[in-house]
Amino acid sequence: MAVPVEYYLLLSAAVFCVGLFGILTRRNALMFLMSVELMLNAANINFVAFSQYWGNLTGQVFALFVLALAAAEVAIGIGIILVLYRNFGDVDVTLAREMRW
Amino acid sequence: MSFEYAPAIALLPLVSFAIALTVGSRMPKKGAFAGIAATGGSLLLSLLAVRQVAGGEHHNEELLVWAGAGAGTELELTFGILIDPLSALMLIIVSLVAFLVHVFSLGYMNDEGEVGLPRYYAGLGLFTFSMLAFVYASNLLQAFMFFELVGLCSWLLIGFWFREAAPPSAAKKAFLVTRFGDFFFLVGVVGVAVTFAGATETPLAFAGAESFPVVAEEVVEGSMGAGELATFGFAPQTWFTILGLLVLGGVVGKSAQFPLHTWLPDAMEGPTPVSALIHAATMVAAGVFLVARMYGFYAVSPQALAIIAFVGGFTALFAATMGVVKDEIKQVLAYSTISQYGYMMLALGAGGYIAGVFHLMTHAFFKALLFLGAGSVIIAMHHEEDMWKMGGLKQKMPVTYWTFLAGSLALAGIFPFAGFWSKDEVLFEALVHGLGASPFLLAAYAMGLLAVPVTAFYTFRMVSLTFHGEARTEAAEDPHGVRWNVKFPLVVLGVLATVAGFLNMVPVVKLLGASHLGPIPLEALHDWLAHGIEGVNAEHYTLADESLTHEFAGYTAGYVGSELVTTLLSAGLSLGLAVVGAIAGYRLYDAPDPTEHTDRLGSMKTVLYDNYYQDEYQVWLAEGVTAPLAQLANRFDQGVVDGVVDGVSSVSLLSGSRVRRIQTGVVSNYAALITAGLIVLLIAVGVLGGWF
Amino acid sequence: MVLVLIEALIAACLVGAAVTFMVPDRYAGKVGLAASLVPLGIATYMFATFEASGNALMGGQLAFEEQFQWVTLGEAYALNWHVGLDGISMPLVALSTVLTSLAILSAWTPIDERQSQFYGLVLFMEAALLGVFSALDFFVWFVFWEGVLVPMYVLIGVWGGPRRKYAAIKFFVYTNVASLAMFIAFVALVFGLGDAVDTFDMPAIAAALGETGIQADAVPVPGLDVETFKILVFAALFFGFGVKVPVVPWHTWLPDAHVEAPTPVSVLLAGVLLKMGTYAMLRFNFTMLADVARDPNVAVAVGLFAAVSVIYGAMLALAQSDLKRIVAYSSVSSMGYVILGLIALTVYGVGGATFQMVSHGLISGLLFMVVGVIYNQTHTRMVQDMSGLADRMPVTVGVFVAGAFAYMGLPLMSGFAGEFFVFVGSFGSPNLPSSPVFTAVSMFGIVVVAGYLLWAMQRTLFGPFRLETDYELGRAPVQDVLPLLALLALVVLLGVAPDLAFEMIRDAVNPMVGGEVSAALGGGA
Repeated sequence: MAVPVEYYLLLSAAVFCVGLFGILTRRNALMFLMSVELMLNAANINFVAFSQYWGNLTGQVFALFVLALAAAEVAIGIGIILVLYRNFGDVDVTLAREMRW
Repeated sequence: MSFEYAPAIALLPLVSFAIALTVGSRMPKKGAFAGIAATGGSLLLSLLAVRQVAGGEHHNEELLVWAGAGAGTELELTFGILIDPLSALMLIIVSLVAFLVHVFSLGYMNDEGEVGLPRYYAGLGLFTFSMLAFVYASNLLQAFMFFELVGLCSWLLIGFWFREAAPPSAAKKAFLVTRFGDFFFLVGVVGVAVTFAGATETPLAFAGAESFPVVAEEVVEGSMGAGELATFGFAPQTWFTILGLLVLGGVVGKSAQFPLHTWLPDAMEGPTPVSALIHAATMVAAGVFLVARMYGFYAVSPQALAIIAFVGGFTALFAATMGVVKDEIKQVLAYSTISQYGYMMLALGAGGYIAGVFHLMTHAFFKALLFLGAGSVIIAMHHEEDMWKMGGLKQKMPVTYWTFLAGSLALAGIFPFAGFWSKDEVLFEALVHGLGASPFLLAAYAMGLLAVPVTAFYTFRMVSLTFHGEARTEAAEDPHGVRWNVKFPLVVLGVLATVAGFLNMVPVVKLLGASHLGPIPLEALHDWLAHGIEGVNAEHYTLADESLTHEFAGYTAGYVGSELVTTLLSAGLSLGLAVVGAIAGYRLYDAPDPTEHTDRLGSMKTVLYDNYYQDEYQVWLAEGVTAPLAQLANRFDQGVVDGVVDGVSSVSLLSGSRVRRIQTGVVSNYAALITAGLIVLLIAVGVLGGWF
Repeated sequence: MVLVLIEALIAACLVGAAVTFMVPDRYAGKVGLAASLVPLGIATYMFATFEASGNALMGGQLAFEEQFQWVTLGEAYALNWHVGLDGISMPLVALSTVLTSLAILSAWTPIDERQSQFYGLVLFMEAALLGVFSALDFFVWFVFWEGVLVPMYVLIGVWGGPRRKYAAIKFFVYTNVASLAMFIAFVALVFGLGDAVDTFDMPAIAAALGETGIQADAVPVPGLDVETFKILVFAALFFGFGVKVPVVPWHTWLPDAHVEAPTPVSVLLAGVLLKMGTYAMLRFNFTMLADVARDPNVAVAVGLFAAVSVIYGAMLALAQSDLKRIVAYSSVSSMGYVILGLIALTVYGVGGATFQMVSHGLISGLLFMVVGVIYNQTHTRMVQDMSGLADRMPVTVGVFVAGAFAYMGLPLMSGFAGEFFVFVGSFGSPNLPSSPVFTAVSMFGIVVVAGYLLWAMQRTLFGPFRLETDYELGRAPVQDVLPLLALLALVVLLGVAPDLAFEMIRDAVNPMVGGEVSAALGGGA
């Protein structure tokens, strides 16, 4: 018995909204990064779900790409956060506004 | 014999210009000898030209193409040489006066230790070159070009003493006022070129079957259709009048006719020999000469002739009245110049072509004489020009006195000096054509006649104040001596001023009823000018039964009684008035310590002394109208035109600085905006797509 | 023998620029001058051996023509390298090389920092200028056209006076906006007429536009017929080039740029850059779109721009007290004559306009140089700060006087020839309604120009000596005076024998006006 695809979509939408909520409300850069990861994983769930739904592997291949991308992103993101901490003594994203007008 | 040497007449002074400019400072007299040699050479060559013209030859040839050569245009602009009786006569006058002025300058400039003499002689050389090239120019464009160069030279020489304040200002005024006239002249030249280019090969030429005066004559006469002329919707004759009057603008400027005469008295700031050159033979003469040169074109237009006559008559009287009250010897001479050129214009406008040229010639001699005489006085007076500080110079400088007296008698028009004959002929022509054709000319005649006693009065006021009575200052008691180089030109011109009138003794001819007294021709100039290139001679203009002025302007001689009676009446009247004026001027001022009798004129004197406020209104036009207008334009330009440009940039900057506030730099804000945008988009798509 | 002279000319400038960039500042002036003498020599040789007939855009026989495929864009479009000279562009090429060499010489005294970059940029700009005057493919032409802007911007912005940034940005933005309008209009012209044009080759465009077979509904915008479309393009091009000329009311960048720019840059700006505008107008507006220019309403509009430029520019010059501003505004006035000559569409009109471009290039260059020489010695350009300079600097003042009179149109100097040709051409122009009125009004400019130049000369050069700056007045060095004398000699030469240039110009102008003798003056009742 297969789980209908709508269930996966609901799950992914829920995870995405959790991530979005995190981005909109949190000021801590690490929380930011984690929220972004959540949103990426929501997309992964969709990929895998539709891969199974259509019966081909394209979606799963993309999910692997996204995983690789997310890993790279986290690496760079944590690097940025470290620099942010070094320069501002905090990881609050609203503090770093030096490059605007 | 051909006229192959003709270009050299003008080019010799050009060479002396180049020599004086480049190596003049290393030459013994700073370039004076080069100038003397060059103008002397020009004079000799001019005499040669006159001899050939007397032999019935003339010369009208294009020398080179200035622009527009070959195919592709209808209009070739050329330089050429036209030597006919008129230009040959003028060549002599110009080169002779220039020669004498060069000699005189040795005394006036070199002996007085002036600096900058190479510049001075270069200027004189260029001046002479320009004027000679103007005189025998074969076409209107060439004439215009050298006319302008004459203006440049006057600027250079009037402003010779540039370290002082007044001469540069006077030079500027002279150039600017004459340039104002030349603007009209240039419009006229362009107009003539365009008008006649379709009809003839040589639309700008003065003489020849294809020249513009001849074509104009044929068109007005009806023997040639106007189809090929561009007359811009006007009747041909009206259009010719307009063109003629445009060219006349240049004449009025250069010949200092009302209302563009104001530059001339100021031009006295230049060295006196230069004044002599400008007034007698070059710049001022150029205007009147131009009218004579293209007389055929004016002769087909009665309105143009009438305007010339009236302007001339008015200027003659107008300027003469101002001469009455002046204190400085050169100022008196300046106003007399304006007045005398008025007579020439009167003559030309009244159909007296020969009379106008005759007066141009005699005036050149006696005015050059008077200016050089004044220069001699000024040397003697240690550069004092005020006549009230002179007096009693008669005994101390007899050569100057007697020659100056000859010039004055000529200027006043006293028998038998040169001015008498020419001025009498001018007035005679105006009178008979006024009687026969138009009361308008009679009015011009009346003004000319009225100017006669005034002229005689101020002339003898000047002579008395300068030479008679007793010395009123130390300088006058012990004048500086003058050398041969001053006396020689004075004597030559003194003789000419005395005898030049015998060239054309019209009243005598009328009296005797014969044109020759034995072998001696009594109206040599008359015969001289009557012949020449076909269509460009006095015979054709005014003398023949079907002359231009008769045919087109309707000039017919009218007489009081008979011709002889009118002649004698006219001569007697002008002579009588001249004698009255001369005696009045002599008697009133020939006192050991004369008083200024013109004070009795009261407020009129102030008006005259201030030149009828002509300068004031012209200065007001320049400084009171044009300058504020320019300032206004500048403010408009900076404020409005540039303001719009700067405004565009300010608006961009301002709106940019407002809009950029959206960029807070806070990532959360951006994310919120993105989310909000997404939601709005979803709702919009949902509503439009009918999801709900 | 294959002589790629135009390429050699441009390459010589570029190589010269590269070399000059690299030499130390001490030698930069001499190296720059030497480098500029190469193109000058080539251009002189080209001028001497010039043999061409007809107009470059109208199937004429060109001199030094080169054409080959450069870049291919897909299958439809190829960008061609196409250069060549006719009687109109040859004098301007010669003018550019002459003025660049003299400007470099005159820069020796005033430019005292970053010399190698300065001379390098000047040479780079020369390359672009020569390209503008010789390119016959729109794309190539446009690259060169924009290529002039960049060095000019830097030259004003780095070596300029106190407000140099303002002036440089104003110049750059203004002319770039104009370029944009021009570019859009031109691309619209090429692609907006269906398949009628569809090429960047300028002679081909001119030929295609001249054909009558363009479909009435070729323009892909509903309700826009071909005639209106062409008028719109004409207007946009006129604006695009008019800013460069500059035509009133788009002239206000010019005085700022001139006042701030160092003298040699002013010389090139007034002497050559302004001519790009009128040259382009001649090529685009009055050759390619000549039938629009023949519309009486368009002609009257252009005539008004010309007359207003002449009189208004002269009035503005009258109100200035900075010598450079006086000359700058009088350039506006003088370039008005060029527009007047162009719209006349007669041999003397267009030919006179071209001659006037060359003549004004020489004379305004001369006057800017003289003002610069005076500034080098007095460190002021304000009329009220000095008087009686003739006493101390006789040669410089002599040249100033000669240059000023040349500007006033004194006969036997080139200014008179140019102005007279324009006036003769426009007075009876069959193209311009009420042409005598336009001509006469514009001619009044010669009185006003005499007014302000004589006034300025009387105040600064004559009278008792006075100088209200903290500097001692020295003698102008030879390298300052030499270019003045050279320019003056050229001005007199072209004034005495204008046919040296006017003959080839006329030859190239003839086809534009129909080549008919009767159209030469527009005579006829």
